[in-house]
This record gives sequence, C-alpha cells and structure tokens, in this order.
Amino acid sequence: MKKTIVGFVISALVLAALALWALKGHISGNIQEIVMAGIVLVLVGFAIYLGVSRVRSRLNREPAEDELSRKVMTRASSLAYYISIYFWLFIMYVSDKTSLEAHSLVGGGILGMAVIFLLCWLGVKAFGMKNA
Amino acid sequence: MHNRIKELRARHDLSQQELARLVGVRRETIVFLEKGKYNPSLRLAHDIAKTFGLPIEEVFLFDDEAAKKRVTV
Repeated sequence: MKKTIVGFVISALVLAALALWALKGHISGNIQEIVMAGIVLVLVGFAIYLGVSRVRSRLNREPAEDELSRKVMTRASSLAYYISIYFWLFIMYVSDKTSLEAHSLVGGGILGMAVIFLLCWLGVKAFGMKNA
Repeated sequence: MHNRIKELRARHDLSQQELARLVGVRRETIVFLEKGKYNPSLRLAHDIAKTFGLPIEEVFLFDDEAAKKRVTV
C-alpha cells in the first residue's frame, strides 16, 4: 500500500509542477513545450493507471504484485535500458547537428527514456513473455 | 508448453478470480496463463496443479518437438 500512496503523491506533485509551469506562462504555444507537457501527462496517466490497478487488486483480495507483474516490470526495464543506450547515442548525434541547449537535450533524453519504458511495458504486456 | 488450466477450471466450476485467489496471484496472471502468453514459475505451476488435485505434468504439457529443436540447434 505504501508503494501505491508514494506513486499517487509523486503523480500529484508532477501535475502540480506542470500546472505551475503552465500558469507562469512557460507553455506559450511553442510546439516543443506542448509536446513535453503532453509526454509528462501521458507518463502521469501511466503512473495513475498502475496505482489504480494495484488498489483494484487489493479490493478484489488479490496481491497488488505477483510473479507476472514483477517479471513484466523486470523485462520491460531491461529492454528499456537496452534501447535507451541507442537513444542517448541518437541524442548525442542530434546535439552535434542542432543548436539546442544542453538542458533541453537532457530533459528530452530523460522524458524519452520514460516513454521508452512505457512502450516496452505495453509491448511486454501485449505480446506476453512465453519464453521468459 | 501448453496447459489445461481453462479446461480444468471449467471442470471444477472455478472462475479465473477464484483460481487466482486460491493460488495467490492476480486474475491477470491466470488470463496470461490460459492464453499461453506466460510460462509460470515452478512454484505457481505446483500450486495450480495441487488446486486441481493433479500432478504438474497433467496440467502443463511440454511440447516435445520444440524441446528437441532446442537440443539439436
């Protein structure tokens, strides 16, 4: 239950930070800012979905985590790490070709890693892990 | 590896949720097992077989052809 509460608190903090960011006028219609805000919203949605599914399992008197959910997380994490190495190589290539600031590249890289993890998690869930 | 979980569950008149509770996993895990998208741990396979009162090899059926291919490669 502690994990679930921590997940919800972090999601709320991220949403609050995003709202503050928008209220301060940092989201000014620039496509890059809108995409970043969109990605953050998707990731928060994913975190909330995981939290809700844990609560639902508890209500159904099932364990919040079991061997399948742990293996899906492990497999998705290892796959995401592997892909992220190539992703950072791509970011390095882009940094040479463009004049983007370092903090934008690092921010984009971190958000990209989170998106890669989300996609890996969805992939593992969709295709299963028969030969794991 | 194939399994007879769906068939045995129907024979014992158990829902996926009930079987999940009996073996201590989430319903989703039973769904994955029945669809053949996940091979269980030895512990879970043992618990499921025990629930149906059968030995593991009568619930989980190993594909001999696939095993032979793995050995010959």
